[in-house]
Amino acid sequence: MKPFVIDKEQIFHYKRLLKDINNSHHYYKSYKSFKLYDFFLNCIIALLSNKNLILLDADLNLSEMKDSAINAHLNEKELIEPLHFDSFTKLVDQLLKSTSIITIFTSGTTGQPKKVDHSITTLTRAVRKHEKYTDQVWGFAYNPTHMAGLQVFFQAFENGNAIVNIFNKSRIDVFNAIEKYQITNISATPTFYRLLFPVEKEYPSVVRITLGGEKSDKKLFESILKTFPNAKINNIYASTEAGSLLAANGEDFQIPKISKDKFQIKNGELLIHRSLLGRSEDFSLTEDYYYTGDLVEWVDEEIGLFRFKSRKNELINVGGYKVNPSEVEEAILELPQIQHVLVYGKPNSVLGNVICAEIKLIKESSLLESEIRTYLSEKLQDYKIPRRIKFVETIKLTRTGKLQRL
Amino acid sequence: MQEKVLQIINQIRINNQLEKIGIINEKDDLRNDIGLNSFDLAELTVRIEDEFDVDIFEDGIVSTVGEILKKLNIQ
Repeated sequence: MKPFVIDKEQIFHYKRLLKDINNSHHYYKSYKSFKLYDFFLNCIIALLSNKNLILLDADLNLSEMKDSAINAHLNEKELIEPLHFDSFTKLVDQLLKSTSIITIFTSGTTGQPKKVDHSITTLTRAVRKHEKYTDQVWGFAYNPTHMAGLQVFFQAFENGNAIVNIFNKSRIDVFNAIEKYQITNISATPTFYRLLFPVEKEYPSVVRITLGGEKSDKKLFESILKTFPNAKINNIYASTEAGSLLAANGEDFQIPKISKDKFQIKNGELLIHRSLLGRSEDFSLTEDYYYTGDLVEWVDEEIGLFRFKSRKNELINVGGYKVNPSEVEEAILELPQIQHVLVYGKPNSVLGNVICAEIKLIKESSLLESEIRTYLSEKLQDYKIPRRIKFVETIKLTRTGKLQRL
Repeated sequence: MQEKVLQIINQIRINNQLEKIGIINEKDDLRNDIGLNSFDLAELTVRIEDEFDVDIFEDGIVSTVGEILKKLNIQ
């Protein structure tokens, strides 16, 4: 039988999964684990038993959680009725009928993590199941407790695919895994891919690359296609609040005609109708619409084509001007010597904020701060240009593998 | 200290594609004599803070080189 999870060179087959499920007598409602197989096994048992589940980051600091009920029951066993499945197909069928409530949290980069309840329907809405997907091997490049990771998990699991853990691994380990296990599909943040490049070799086994969670750009698409020449690129708009919603081929997202009335753009912000959301007490809805905080612009309003600009709470106020850090990062990334860049605002008594940048250069290349500034002065308005540039070895990421703006 | 401040000012001038200046005097006005705009002043505060761990603009506007040096000397 096929492998289910490959983590740190350890292989767990579907046969083992079936056996472990049939032998299970308990599950953990709120479970924290660094082991990917144990984590997924617990999720599957909970769903099959119609038990509610709270997904917590393995590295979560419990003082971050205000909810004392979660703290009290952390990693506490709860008994379940015995399960018995003789085939994987029957198991998947029952899992999809699960009535469990799955609670997840936003990554909480701004303030208290937001709690959102999902059903199996909202989590698996975007899953495509087909015989032609049977042989896919997934590079798992997300935190499994968050929306994007769950999307990849259900997509792979329902099709009986192998899941190779490449989240938080070094680039050498990632490329070794792609080659060794002949990974065909990778879904990750643009930041994850940017950290892999540049690389001289080609990896032909990869046929599908999915990006999501952050703004992507043309230069990144080009680098991806150079390294993965057989890959088709997919761009996904998903959120903790709503799950996977929209897909794009390049940078432009298409609102499907049937759900045209479920999306609105108001003052440049994307609004989503409540019918597409999970449940949460933390949502603030205005006339049935949820304000996503994602700033977008129409490419073609007639046909429902739009493009991302930034996150609303990421805009930096510099002496009254609003600066979109993604725009500045994109301009800097056009320089061939740059591997990775983070733009953020540093509080300042003169202007409110000063734009600062951390830059990781490509190995053995050099660039001066003044050269970058001169280059940018032809690309950006003065107030958008970073006033302090630090050259660094690593750039800090969030738990979900996105850039962490300080 | 004056040497270091001059170095920082020149760094800002170079970043803005301006020529280096040779000397600074305590009486020099940061805007009028040295030619810094408000973005440059913000950059100056960041760089001085990096170097000396002092926010020179913390309690009100600073307009001359002498006032910067005074703030740094108090620390």
